[in-house]
Amino acid sequence: MNEQISALLDDEIAVEDAAHIITAVQLSKQAAEAWSQYHLIGDAMRGNAVLSRQFKQNLMQKIEVEATVLSPNAALINLVAEEVKHRSKIPATWSIAASFAAVMMVAWLVLHQQAQNGHELAPIEVAQAVSTTESAIDQGIPAEYLSAHQASAPSASSYYIQTVNFKE
Amino acid sequence: MKRLVLGRLFAIATLGVTLVASTNVQASADDDVWQVLQKAAAAAHALSYQGIFYYQAGSQSKPVQITHLFNGKGEFARNVVLDNSPREVFSQGNDLVIFNPRNEKIVIEKRHGQNMFPAILPTNLDSVKESYSVRAGERERVAGRPAQMLFLEPKDTLRYGYRFWVDTEYGLLLKSEMLNGHNEVIESIAFNQLGLMDILDLDWFQPKIDNKKSYVMENETATIAYNSVSTDWKLKDLPSGFRKVDQMIRMVHGKTLPVTHVVLSDGLVSVSLFIEPITKNIKPRIGHKLVGGTSFFASVSDGYQLTVVGEVPEVTVAQIANAVVFKK
Repeated sequence: MNEQISALLDDEIAVEDAAHIITAVQLSKQAAEAWSQYHLIGDAMRGNAVLSRQFKQNLMQKIEVEATVLSPNAALINLVAEEVKHRSKIPATWSIAASFAAVMMVAWLVLHQQAQNGHELAPIEVAQAVSTTESAIDQGIPAEYLSAHQASAPSASSYYIQTVNFKE
Repeated sequence: MKRLVLGRLFAIATLGVTLVASTNVQASADDDVWQVLQKAAAAAHALSYQGIFYYQAGSQSKPVQITHLFNGKGEFARNVVLDNSPREVFSQGNDLVIFNPRNEKIVIEKRHGQNMFPAILPTNLDSVKESYSVRAGERERVAGRPAQMLFLEPKDTLRYGYRFWVDTEYGLLLKSEMLNGHNEVIESIAFNQLGLMDILDLDWFQPKIDNKKSYVMENETATIAYNSVSTDWKLKDLPSGFRKVDQMIRMVHGKTLPVTHVVLSDGLVSVSLFIEPITKNIKPRIGHKLVGGTSFFASVSDGYQLTVVGEVPEVTVAQIANAVVFKK
């Protein structure tokens, strides 16, 4: 089943021929999980941002702070135009990249029907980076600073060796 | 007598010419070595290759399988760390996605980076030339390939030196060693097998999905680009060759207040400087530590905690912390 879900997301199966897959996703918890995980992986590989848990809160805060401008703002329009130009440069060659429209269509169908059936997709879990080493210097370099350093200035070791431990 | 004077003059002149010629030869030999490094920097991005290399630091050693493709438009790479729980690192240009197995989960991490082996040299070597000098070494074989060894030596004691082995045919970097001040190898990365690829398809550019594990997104620590002009500190007398390349405000695990994060680089190596105000519930930290090739330094100045981390000698992280001056 998982292969078929993956094939559907990769656009290897036409949406019209995928009724049985969609039914399976609705009925089986396992298939639904595979469905949401493949979407997560696809989003990560394509470079789509996944909304953080604080997204709504952050957005509302930003709106609060933002002054309401009633006149057309040329600078802002330019900024948006620049952003659009920049985005259009991003190559769409990620391998998992399925036809976006088809995926959206299928996703809408499944979500819509699932909502009707009273099912809910499992929320995307977020792992928390928790250092297992204490912050005392004599026990090593504090993991919180090391991981921040490696996230913004990665060195060879940060690619191949896991330095920060995750606690789930 | 006259002949003797003339003879002497001739000897001096000859000596002078020889001296000038030898400095010229030296300079052009240096240029040739820089040229080899320049070619290695470009080859890592422009060639398509596949192989296995070993990463070694301290007691840790990991084999990594690499597939790198340049299709004329973009660069794609997959690095798989071959151990009990294989990590997969995918990169497209500077964007990285890491699939990192953690117990029953696979954590997806997103990063920016552009210095993954063998592409560890910047394509613009100007800032590297400022702080390092080069010297050609022996010709040796690495991973069955003919290679020229090169020394990249620091001009001071503020950074580590390197030994590079460059493929004399492909121009690709085959092996890299980082050396401390005592000429001890602190980090080594070397191909063990390598071949060029002539495929263009991207079928391999996808993670191996483990259906038994659940995939989760890493809790991305929020960062804000730093564009505020008014800071209450400035950097004065940074260690020679180091420049600020990035600055952001980020959340650091276990801290309630955001921390200012400044990234400095000499073109080859990066150092992070963290600046945060000391509040009542933060216990100030003072000290230094060296683990492998990574130095750590913490100090307190004008009510701020300063923390510096980087793959440089201890003296450099201390100098960077001391370069922070608070405006009164």
